[in-house]
Amino acid sequence: MTSGTAIPSAPAPEAGTAPLADILALALQAGMLAHQSGASTHRTSLLMRDTAAAHGVALVDVMISSTNIGLTIMRDGESHTSMRKVPHMAVDFSVLCALSRWQAGTRSQPADLQGASAALARIAQTRTVYPPLLVIGMVGVACGSFAALFGGDLMAVIIAAVGATLGGAVKAWLLRRHFSHAIFATVASFVAILATGLLCPLSTTPNAALAASGLFLIPGVPLINAASDLLNANYLNGVVRLTLSAVVVFGLALGMSLALRLLPV
Amino acid sequence: MTAWLIELLIELWAAPAALGFAMLFNVPKRALWLCGTLAVIGHGLRHLVDVLHGDLVLGTLAGAVVIGLLAELHARRRHEPGAIYAISAAIPLVPGKSMYESVQAMLGIAVLPANADGSALIAIAGVSAIKAAMILMALAFGIAAPMLLRPDR
Repeated sequence: MTSGTAIPSAPAPEAGTAPLADILALALQAGMLAHQSGASTHRTSLLMRDTAAAHGVALVDVMISSTNIGLTIMRDGESHTSMRKVPHMAVDFSVLCALSRWQAGTRSQPADLQGASAALARIAQTRTVYPPLLVIGMVGVACGSFAALFGGDLMAVIIAAVGATLGGAVKAWLLRRHFSHAIFATVASFVAILATGLLCPLSTTPNAALAASGLFLIPGVPLINAASDLLNANYLNGVVRLTLSAVVVFGLALGMSLALRLLPV
Repeated sequence: MTAWLIELLIELWAAPAALGFAMLFNVPKRALWLCGTLAVIGHGLRHLVDVLHGDLVLGTLAGAVVIGLLAELHARRRHEPGAIYAISAAIPLVPGKSMYESVQAMLGIAVLPANADGSALIAIAGVSAIKAAMILMALAFGIAAPMLLRPDR
């Protein structure tokens, strides 16, 4: 996806004087943070353009694919281009939130390059907010709540939560070992449904519990970012994100059907 | 307890369902309450559409658009992306039950004896899968659409 735009340049302390290579590095640093934290293509592109504009660069071309970002900036006939591979990281809305505020701040009061780079490094370091074990447990509770929304009884809520917590732990373990989406979704869903299924005799509404316990795998962020990209005419990235969501949902269904075969329900 | 009060209380389960995912997506602590509240509002609205004899796809679209709009309104004042509130709040609208019914029916087809008639299972599998896909699309586009109100942000 590319977008080239002339931007009304904001007044910067060193406008027109900072080396283009440094501005390029700063804009890429911001873009990589946004892309790997779960921003839509449009948002990442705007952030990179705003960052370059805040330091006096008037013409910016951005390229964002699902795994790479690239940037060309031009000033007075001189142009610099760079391309980076974006490592796959977990979605992090705290980083995205901090980036948005930083972006709004640079619009009204641009910082010098070193200050901006240090601010971005600080944002990148504020990664974890919640302990991983608490998150796995809370996602389990979330799946238990799904069982209640599907009309399950209290036992269905509890056994769906237990199954989803186990599945969530398996998912986290597989993710740390860099297994692909198809694999971790299938295995984690298999474990969650099997555990819930074995506890099903405790509940009078086993189907609500079984339907709920695999939902910790729902690819919410890629799916909604896919819609956002498609609506913003970033078709290629939108379809990539949609395909990723479909692979995870397919893995969820496959793991579920394998587990159901082993269960007497 | 009257039936409507029980239905209302069940809607409150949307809050913990959204909170777990908000923590998974590392939503800032100060924003968690809003994710839970928007989830209850969105899910409650879908339930209301259902009570008024609307279908689940229409109800999901209505719930998602309202979640997206309220999240965007709140985020606009704070220079934040509305998505950080809207995405976790949208999770309880995911059609888990339809997805499960579809998988269950497909498994029924897989284990069907030779020469047995599977047309009833195909109908359940197909209808549930298409319904789930339509609800998911209504959800994703309903949440994403209000963010387009500020094309320069």
